[in-house]
Amino acid sequence: MISVVNVTKKFKGVTAVKNLNFNAKEGEIIGFLGPNGAGKTTTMRLLLGYLTPTYGEILIDNLDPTEDRIKVLRKIGYLPENNPLYQDIKVQEYLKFISEVKNANNLQQVIQQVGLSEVVSSRIEELSRGFRQRVGLAAAYLSEPPMLVLDEPTSGLDPIEQDRIKELIIKTSKDKTVLFSTHILSEVEDVATRLIILNRGEIIYDGVKPKGKGAVEKLFKRLIKTNDNIVI
Amino acid sequence: MFTLYKKEIQYYLNNPIGYIILVLFGVFANFLFVKDIFIVGSASMRPFFGVLPWLLLVFIPALTMRMLSEEKRTNTVEVLLTLPVSETQIILAKVLALTTLIATGFLLTLSLPVSLAILTKLYFPEILAGYFGSLLLAVSFISIALFFSAQTKNQVVAFLFSVLALFIFLVLGTDFMAGIIPKDILDILIYFTPMYHLQNFIKGVIDIRSVFYFISLFGIFILLTIVQLEKRD
Repeated sequence: MISVVNVTKKFKGVTAVKNLNFNAKEGEIIGFLGPNGAGKTTTMRLLLGYLTPTYGEILIDNLDPTEDRIKVLRKIGYLPENNPLYQDIKVQEYLKFISEVKNANNLQQVIQQVGLSEVVSSRIEELSRGFRQRVGLAAAYLSEPPMLVLDEPTSGLDPIEQDRIKELIIKTSKDKTVLFSTHILSEVEDVATRLIILNRGEIIYDGVKPKGKGAVEKLFKRLIKTNDNIVI
Repeated sequence: MFTLYKKEIQYYLNNPIGYIILVLFGVFANFLFVKDIFIVGSASMRPFFGVLPWLLLVFIPALTMRMLSEEKRTNTVEVLLTLPVSETQIILAKVLALTTLIATGFLLTLSLPVSLAILTKLYFPEILAGYFGSLLLAVSFISIALFFSAQTKNQVVAFLFSVLALFIFLVLGTDFMAGIIPKDILDILIYFTPMYHLQNFIKGVIDIRSVFYFISLFGIFILLTIVQLEKRD
């Protein structure tokens, strides 16, 4: 269970996110939408305790990520934005390292689930973008955390690889709380059960995903346009 | 923490850079000692331990510069800091890995006391004290270089600032400064220089005050590095 109450984050006087309020329950797949600089990555980093809120309170299973960072991080699998990886080691070595740090015992299972069996002996720098993304996802899945925070999991991938990653998220998200950010609106239609739209650091929509093809895109564009007009 | 330590060591085992730096260190250390041994005319390791800090001045920043700056540049620091490990564990694992490498470098210089022992009778406790003091000095240098590596995403900048800082630390404890700084001030400053404290170890004396000095120097810079890593805003 994730609880975010009146959270504001400022960087040297500049407000990145303002008065965020939302909860996330087990079984929900929440799509985070917003233009560049809307505050999606900042919000995700706040949930992990990587950043500290300037105001407000975040609770992850009743734990404060700032005070109990390590306990919170045991509950969350995280795929950072742009998926930073150690390039000069083999896939197996990287995942073994993450697995040992997380005390995970599902390394082989995750390698198979994510479809990395054929490249485990390759160095990460030799992998295609799609496989690198799978390595990042595998690292997030290790130790079977009850929550997943995925920052643009399909960014820069071709449509086939995007579909693979989407299927993977759906398949592995049962009984988990999943938050993922994306710029691809159709992805939210296919994967999310709930939608949170951010603009200029504020939540401008939090609710069910509208039904119908292209409905998310219509809603997103309308809200951003309206919100921008109000701000101007 | 052992897993983090293993990862750091593996980097140097899997890359030629670690081997190159260590071999160069071994070659330079042996050369600098051997080139003067017949001029000095005494079979002692003291000149070696006297020159060792000047070698470490370059080799420690060379090994350390990438440790945090590269993690910052490639943003793998975010991977580390979102794993269930503390900043202290991350830093100490890096220090331990670097200490292992430097200790390996010291092993490459064991040929010197072994060769001397063939020529003459050596007082081994003095040599052990010299190595112990040099290791303490190396660990405190690692903490200083790591601090500068945490300040920037650029390895070269980290290297240059580390060398400069270590040079200032070292040069303050030399006779060269006597002509520049008034004696009264220098007499006080010298207590804060690594060279002053290393002298005791070189003479074969393990002075608790000097051990405390190196541990304090290490502690201060490690703490500053951890604080820097905790600052993410």
